[in-house]
Amino acid sequence: MTLNKYFYITRTNFVNSVAYIQDIIGSSAFIALIIFIFVNLWKVIYGSNEYINGFTIIMMLWYLVMTESIVTSQSRVLEEMGNEVINGNIANYLNKPYNYVLYKYFQSLGRSVVKFIVTFVIAGLVVYIFIGPININLITILPIILIVFLAITLNFLIMASLGVFAFWIEDAKSLDFVYSKIIFTIGGMLVPLEIFPKWLYNISIYLPFSYVAYYPAKLFVAFDYMLFFKVLIVELMWITVFAIIASMLYKICVKRISINGG
Amino acid sequence: MALKHFKTQLEYFKISLKTALDYRASFIIQTVSMILNDIVWIIFWLIIFNKFQNTNGWNLNDMILLYAVILTSYGIGGVFYGNRRNISSIIVEGRLDYYLTLPKNILYHVIISKASWYSLGDLLLGIVLAIMFIPLVKAPLFILLIVLSAIIFISFDILTGSLAFFMENSEETSSTLREGLIAFSSYPLSIYTGLTKILILFIIPAGFVSGIPVQLLKTFDATWLMYTIGFTIVLTIVAVSLFYIGLKKYESGNQLYVRT
Repeated sequence: MTLNKYFYITRTNFVNSVAYIQDIIGSSAFIALIIFIFVNLWKVIYGSNEYINGFTIIMMLWYLVMTESIVTSQSRVLEEMGNEVINGNIANYLNKPYNYVLYKYFQSLGRSVVKFIVTFVIAGLVVYIFIGPININLITILPIILIVFLAITLNFLIMASLGVFAFWIEDAKSLDFVYSKIIFTIGGMLVPLEIFPKWLYNISIYLPFSYVAYYPAKLFVAFDYMLFFKVLIVELMWITVFAIIASMLYKICVKRISINGG
Repeated sequence: MALKHFKTQLEYFKISLKTALDYRASFIIQTVSMILNDIVWIIFWLIIFNKFQNTNGWNLNDMILLYAVILTSYGIGGVFYGNRRNISSIIVEGRLDYYLTLPKNILYHVIISKASWYSLGDLLLGIVLAIMFIPLVKAPLFILLIVLSAIIFISFDILTGSLAFFMENSEETSSTLREGLIAFSSYPLSIYTGLTKILILFIIPAGFVSGIPVQLLKTFDATWLMYTIGFTIVLTIVAVSLFYIGLKKYESGNQLYVRT
């Protein structure tokens, strides 16, 4: 029963997103445009080189399709949760029979799934047309979907944890700006971490942010069972850590809420 | 007449600044986070050029010039004409009524009546980059180019915002076009070739916003400066005309609201 209600929350949001698909296609079209710019950029950078740090141009662009699809599938979460903390709307959830963080997670999941698929298809189409298809082994699709699902979950939990800080700094958009830039760079969304200088690469691969974008996309373009199991274990570990952090922070936050009538 | 409008603009600016400063901590955080945001992009290019040296003739120095141009001009657009990005929602929600009743130029009044303070971070960093990387002799040219570039940004937003007069649900389209202009103009002009180059010069005028100003700052070329000025004038005329043609079709709603 407990999980059942969360399933319905996800389903409702999934159906809702499908009903307003136009809205999602609009923002996905923008990602396709960015991918188109990347096609131009990487064509120039590759020139006559076949490989850069073990990536062919086809791998590089499909890598970017994957990172962009994962990260943008949850583009509004941090700002939304932060704003609910700032304007006190979070109080509306407190007397409901569900956990606020879980509610938000399942709510965003419904939308993220639709958005991920639409972005992946549209951006993938751009790369398919201008660069070409990627070779992937069909058996690896399920493990990749699992890793992507966990990456979306981890991304949500990090954002949920950060969202609480809006309580003190009173500006959710700035938090979102800064976090998204962390994912852009050391998360590996804009370029694979191998492109970085060695010292930055060595730091980035151990941080949780690389499990949101870099590792899932790397597995997608160059699947390897050893790497898959490693990523799976570490991703689960980070999910546990951030789940604990998020729930603790919201407990503290709720204690400090003062409700002044309606 | 023009002076009166300028005075109005100054008053709006003062009010907006006072309001923003009321929430001082938030104001500072917004500005700092925007500067951090921009610096991350510059670091991204630092990494790219550190590894690949040049992309079709562009190097790190050109990229920094590009950021100096684009951040300053976009910052000016945001701080002084911040409401330009809201044109489509103002039209759709029937909020244009307010401006129609006042004895000021309607379009000008709309775009000056709100500041987007996030852009202050852009503006500050843009100016710092310009001071650090642009030689003093080129300062007049730089100022001319960022004025042109800011006018293109503003005109393009008026153009895409005015689509709301003609199309239903145009908000998503205009926001994609707007973001597209920023995205295309934040990459080296040299990566675009053939049809794409024509597209980003004349359809989404990203080339005129950043790429061509950078080329002109590197090696001055009077012909291209003339093209840029000409293009800016044409775009402005088209954008303003479209707004006023659309305005004839404007139907107000019956919504009552408090203007904030």
